[in-house]
Amino acid sequence: MAEWGRECDVVVVGAGLAGLSAARHLVRSGLDVVVVEARDRVGGRSWSDTTSSGVVVDRGGQWLGPTQDHLAALAEEFGVVTFPTFISGEAVELRDGSRFTYTGLIPTSDSAAAAEGIEAILDLDLAGLEVPLDAPWEAEGAGGLDGQTLGTWLDEHLRSPRARGIIDVAIEAIFGAGPREMSLLFALFYLHAGGGLTNLARTTGGAQERRFVGGTQQLAIGLAAELEGRIEFGTPVDAVTHSPEQVVVTSSRAEDGAPHRSVKARRAVIALPPALSVRFDWSPPLPWLRDQLSMRMPMGSVTKLHALYPEPFWRDDGLNGQLISPNGVLGSTFDDSPPDGSHGRLVGFIAADKCRHLERAGRDTLRAAALEELERAFGPRAAEPTEIVEQHWSAEEFTRGGPVAICVPGALTGFGPSLRQPVGAVHWAGTETATRWCGYLDGAISSGLRAADEVLEALGNEPVQAEAGRATRGDL
Amino acid sequence: MATSEEIAEAYADWRARSNENERLKKMVRGWDRRVHLSTTDTAEGYTLEVRDQVLSQLYPGHVGQPDLIVTGSSEDFCDMFWGDLNPSAKYMSGEITLAGSQEDVMRLDAISMVAFLDQ
Repeated sequence: MAEWGRECDVVVVGAGLAGLSAARHLVRSGLDVVVVEARDRVGGRSWSDTTSSGVVVDRGGQWLGPTQDHLAALAEEFGVVTFPTFISGEAVELRDGSRFTYTGLIPTSDSAAAAEGIEAILDLDLAGLEVPLDAPWEAEGAGGLDGQTLGTWLDEHLRSPRARGIIDVAIEAIFGAGPREMSLLFALFYLHAGGGLTNLARTTGGAQERRFVGGTQQLAIGLAAELEGRIEFGTPVDAVTHSPEQVVVTSSRAEDGAPHRSVKARRAVIALPPALSVRFDWSPPLPWLRDQLSMRMPMGSVTKLHALYPEPFWRDDGLNGQLISPNGVLGSTFDDSPPDGSHGRLVGFIAADKCRHLERAGRDTLRAAALEELERAFGPRAAEPTEIVEQHWSAEEFTRGGPVAICVPGALTGFGPSLRQPVGAVHWAGTETATRWCGYLDGAISSGLRAADEVLEALGNEPVQAEAGRATRGDL
Repeated sequence: MATSEEIAEAYADWRARSNENERLKKMVRGWDRRVHLSTTDTAEGYTLEVRDQVLSQLYPGHVGQPDLIVTGSSEDFCDMFWGDLNPSAKYMSGEITLAGSQEDVMRLDAISMVAFLDQ
């Protein structure tokens, strides 16, 4: 166990992939590091859990796509095997009470609507390329882009309600929020950071291309192994006292009943979503620009649902397990079965307003509605899973939503420069601060390494030259 | 396996339809590019160009420096040009690949999908 009350060089708050990547890099560079983690596990939004039937499901981030080089490098380092997401066969579209099947990126039952949707996606993706990843607020016309929502842009550019429904459901699954909730400038930045909306929605060639045998949390566990004895679990931070030379991080409700614990360090890395980091009692208070930025970066709302079956029966029907259902509870699903197909598993997302409305209706209602939708899409066998795993990310005390935080209009142009700007001895990590693959596991890793580099520079330490997990990034 | 003649005939049909499609014309405004097609199952290669919102004829061989390279089977090219094959499905299965700058790949990806959907 780390020694409490002693001085160390750097305290890292949060043992997700961002915090762990930062901590390992700092330890390898010769610094004394303590990681403080609220939960009793590492991984944050990467959580591979064993179900009651003994199989591992990724309750959080679960995919690897091309150009996610930091994530791929960690998988390689820890010998975690990846495999392609199952894609053979047709996808299902549920629309207006009817069921259609299709191949390719977008439902083709209304080809004119699909063409209109593709044109709009291209316009968005091309506009995204014009947004600087390290400073979206400096984009040409940033004020106008940040003064409207993605929803208002779609209102203006799409006539077909069907095309709109398809794009809305994709946005909801990606952000846990609807287009009307987020700044257009933020959406364009985010799409650029992940290679475009087409890229974010795709399986092969896109963000859902590959999965991890045994789950993504193995990467966090692998990082943590190198930090043995330096991670304090079950220790939610509730106060931070800071000056330019020193940071004291305090927890008053550690799991083992200790009334009060603190770590004093020369520097801190806060590796949490912005909305969580401002829940601490900061002394002195955070600069108001940083504080108000956090007020403008709410977490998305998402529940991830896994339905387990004796076999992936939909494959026998020529289906690939993918569903698009713009008006349905489960907006989208994917085949989540293990590589050997030894049992069947579908994973779906209940996101944005659907997630909020169903939380009010009750979780039994949510589950029943989800199963009914799976049955309509994949047949009667889909209504009888052997097990259901629901992960309500919005109800997670130490995440408070997911998959990512969004920016409301005005946040980036008014407050954006404060996102990564250190506050005295406090540095910021977390996937929300990433400039590539923001919101993804890959972005979490790169954000941690970037924050660690800031700390090393501030303390005058030389970073190690060959940091595993630090990939050479090519163009997206 | 499709012959050069079959691909040329299918391409001519695709070209005629595409050059009359207003949505596609809008999508290639200001986007003049040279594209090489490389077949995986024959020794043939082809070149096409987009100039001033118009799709050129299909030239045999790889002519000049390409902005984009599209690789796939001769059958898939043929079926795609006839409008029988959704190129998006082939991109997603990795059977057709696009290489070029991020912007050029985005555009060609979208253009080929719209050409299929809007025929």
